[in-house]
Amino acid sequence: MHTRLSSLSVYVHIPFCRARCAYCDFNTYAGLESLLPRYVAALCREVELAGNRWGDFSLATVYFGGGTPSLMTPEMVERVLNALSLAFCMPPDVEITLEANPGTVDGHKLRQLRSLGVNRLSLGAQSAHDAELRLLGRIHTWGEVVATVQEAREAGFANLSLDFIFGLPGQTLERWQETLEAALGLAPEHLSLYALTVEEGTPLWEQIEQHLLPAPDDDLAAGMYEYAEERLAAAGYSHYEISNWAREGYACRHNLTYWHNEPWLGVGAGAHSWLDGRRWANLSHPEDYIRALERGEMPVAEHERIELATEMGETMMLWLRLAEGADALRFRERFGVELEAVFGGELAELCEVGLLEWDGRVARLTPRGRLLGNQVFLRFI
Amino acid sequence: MHPSHIRDFCIIAHVDHGKSTLADRLLELTGTIPPHQMTAQVLDSMDLEREKGVTIKASAVRMEYTAPDGERYELNLIDTPGHVDFSYEVSRALAACEGALLVVDAVQGIEAQTLANLYLALEADLEIVPVVNKIDLTAARTDEVALELAELLGVDPDEVLRVSAKEGWGVERVLEAVVRRLPPPRGDPAAPLRALVFDSHYNPYKGVVAYVRVVDGALVQGEPLLLMSSNTVVEPLEVGVFTPGMTPTGRLEAGAVGYVATGLKTVRECQVGDTLTTVATPATEPLPGYRPVKPMVFAGLYPVEGEDYNALRDALEKLQLNDAALVFEPESSQALQFGFRCGFLGLFHMEIVQERLEREYGLDLIATAPSVAYQVVLQNGEVLRISSPADLPDPATIKEIREPWMRVQVFTPADYIGQVMEVVKRRRGIYKSTEYLDNQRVVLNYEMPLAEVIVDLHDRLKSVTRGYASLDYTFDSYRPGDLVRMDILVNKEPVDALALIVHRDQAYEKGAALVRKMKEVIPRQLFKVPIQAAIGGRIIARETVSALRKDVLAKCYGGDVTRKRKLLEKQKAGKKRLKQFGRVVIPQDAFLAVLRLEED
Ligand SMILES: Nc1nc2c(ncn2[C@@H]2O[C@H](COP(=O)(O)OP(=O)(O)OP(=O)(O)O)[C@@H](O)[C@H]2O)c(=O)[nH]1
Ligand code: SF4
Ligand SMILES: [Mg+2]
Repeated sequence: MHTRLSSLSVYVHIPFCRARCAYCDFNTYAGLESLLPRYVAALCREVELAGNRWGDFSLATVYFGGGTPSLMTPEMVERVLNALSLAFCMPPDVEITLEANPGTVDGHKLRQLRSLGVNRLSLGAQSAHDAELRLLGRIHTWGEVVATVQEAREAGFANLSLDFIFGLPGQTLERWQETLEAALGLAPEHLSLYALTVEEGTPLWEQIEQHLLPAPDDDLAAGMYEYAEERLAAAGYSHYEISNWAREGYACRHNLTYWHNEPWLGVGAGAHSWLDGRRWANLSHPEDYIRALERGEMPVAEHERIELATEMGETMMLWLRLAEGADALRFRERFGVELEAVFGGELAELCEVGLLEWDGRVARLTPRGRLLGNQVFLRFI
Repeated sequence: MHPSHIRDFCIIAHVDHGKSTLADRLLELTGTIPPHQMTAQVLDSMDLEREKGVTIKASAVRMEYTAPDGERYELNLIDTPGHVDFSYEVSRALAACEGALLVVDAVQGIEAQTLANLYLALEADLEIVPVVNKIDLTAARTDEVALELAELLGVDPDEVLRVSAKEGWGVERVLEAVVRRLPPPRGDPAAPLRALVFDSHYNPYKGVVAYVRVVDGALVQGEPLLLMSSNTVVEPLEVGVFTPGMTPTGRLEAGAVGYVATGLKTVRECQVGDTLTTVATPATEPLPGYRPVKPMVFAGLYPVEGEDYNALRDALEKLQLNDAALVFEPESSQALQFGFRCGFLGLFHMEIVQERLEREYGLDLIATAPSVAYQVVLQNGEVLRISSPADLPDPATIKEIREPWMRVQVFTPADYIGQVMEVVKRRRGIYKSTEYLDNQRVVLNYEMPLAEVIVDLHDRLKSVTRGYASLDYTFDSYRPGDLVRMDILVNKEPVDALALIVHRDQAYEKGAALVRKMKEVIPRQLFKVPIQAAIGGRIIARETVSALRKDVLAKCYGGDVTRKRKLLEKQKAGKKRLKQFGRVVIPQDAFLAVLRLEED
């Protein structure tokens, strides 16, 4: 059984984008922005229904993700935030993140968002090279990224995160180093660096299948990652999760909820939730989602009860992504059994092959283990 | 039915010349299968046959036919496979028949297994009805091919039937010819029962189901039967015919082809080639039976999971009932532990056996590199027979190694003689002679070591002749050769199941090509893995599989947890098809790498 935690993180999914990026397989749709007003109403309705059930939780974090949440007008954001504060307890120190794409916001809008209480901005920058941005099918240039960062600072955002992608087809180490330098030049509090995953069915995947683009080189991507680790450490960022770096005190609290495998509620089309030992997913198409709520129904598509053994494995998979690692004490508090008793064999074996450090109290990925995380995680699944 | 109104015949041909399609038309025309249940090559009922578009098993079916003169006949048809690896199926079917339809593709003409199967049929004393098929094709050379066939058989060209099995042209004439030109069943309805077991399969409820051709007497359910060579008494659970599903009739008269569900649970008592008679009035002499099969190719089959060993033995025994060309005996390997050394008629046969074991019996198997059987003469004069390179004794004790040589016939259009010669020369072939089939097509005769034949010779020949070449081979003799054992070391450890025997002159080239190929198929692991080829302890080639550098999901957020877990579960399941050797995992492909050296 779960200990009922009194605080909760809420994820709000906004499944709309101006145009579809070439590598993207997220639950998002281009050309459906006209649905936004009805969609926001549905979101508020879902929040209200959730509040009836879990209203005694206090919100630790709110995260507007997508898609492109910055396509919402500030009024829409306000309505959702109001719905949340009516449904749950919303303490003053709540972390509110909004993902934004350069080219979809300006200084005015950013100021409005800031004044609504949004206190963390996550910008999809992806690359400092316009040619790479085009390859990825992004709608913006690097110049727009720089301008947006400037405007965000002026609007009072003191907690700014930038996303980048490395290991692009044809990308050299030098080009990646240039992107990193340019990123550091903007002095973000937080950086997410993702190795490109070519997802089946995406336009990028098709181009690679047809040999129009070279397949990404994993070994080179590993080199880029190691370079970034070194460079960002030197610049004073701590590498707190496999793909995430932050200055002291700026780790993303919302995402830490996921990696600690603590409960969260997801609202919006295709959003997932993890509460009371259950994981469920909403209907993914915004039309279906809206219609369900307009009929007064819960928009749930799939439902899974997570068995304790599965939860233990998932917890290890998530905890080990973090630099803080998997703590034996916390494991015992949560599951009532010793980590050593459940996974002793796996831990020892992974230590022996050099992917893990394990001193009997905390298990952590080694630098090599960070690059070979799947080889570690699979042993716990 | 009186024997004079029964005909037992089979359809034989080179692969793909249209036997099964012709069988479809006969089944249709006789109303054996109603139109709405008809599918293409309906007798190819195994999933594997349908997927590969090739007949693997001979299948029997009983048809009722009313001739134009109003007489009614019982026709027992056996469709046979054409692929060279399944010739044992053909020869067993022949023994249950008095006649054969020899089908030849009107475009391809006479090919290697046309002749090979014809000779088998003539040896079995069968009456032959020649049929040219696929006359609907625009490239058909119907007259030419008919003439060639007539010459081959020494008959009038008018006696060669011309059909399109696909379009249904000329098929009536085939049935008429079966009735008019093929003899009724030999045998004596009044004599004590003698029924030849020509095939079988295992059924969990009915035990061993024997496929029989009744030669003398009648087989009646309820009468205890005796298997003459195993001396086993059988109380049949069911007696019937194939229509083509199993249909109980309770009785099989002389000349009939059908089945007997024996209820036998162990498989040894009921071997193909045995004769069934009655316990009450047993026959004095069994029927001639079959020549035991001589496997050409040997390989080890091992369960990926050690605990499946017994299940594998059980599966092999049951499969052997339905595949009389399969032989096996227990074997152990340092690397793979316990499994079976299996003998096959060729690589295609091997592939089919492995697939059937995996599908029909739910096993997960590793097959080692195929090898031929060598004779090893020791210094002390003793001669060992070795079908696994790992069994080769210390070279110091060996006086001579002999390998099997084959007489090889390559059928090809004359335009490609040069290319064929080239392929054969690279494989130590010795040219013997050329025969012209007509002014376009030739038969090239060679002698060649079997070891060179089994390693994709057929595919190579096909690829240099744009698909036209066909191949047949028969054993000639064992001959001494300068043969050495090549060890393959993975991560510095020799893996016995990867060892092979090669000719000294080819050792360097083969060793280099092999380690290169293995490097491609062995997945990168957590550390780098050297792969070496060695002869007598000396390394002759080396490659390195570099260590895996990156394997991690970059993103894992809330919405992804289930998906990521499932991805990892899949990745983990994928590992199951690999075999762990110490710290290294080796996939099935690495064992078969030796077969693909010439691919690129
Ligand atoms: N055009 C044409 N194609 C035919 C004819 N008969 C068979 N085929 C085609 O030839 C191919 C092989 O036919 P099968 O009946 O499977 O040949 P088979 O001799 O039984 O083959 P194996 O049993 O594998 O040796 C199939 O694609 C058939 O559709 C015909 O009369 N005309
Ligand atoms: S902006 Fe983000 S969510 Fe939208 S298509 Fe591009 S990558 Fe996908
Ligand atoms: Mg066939």
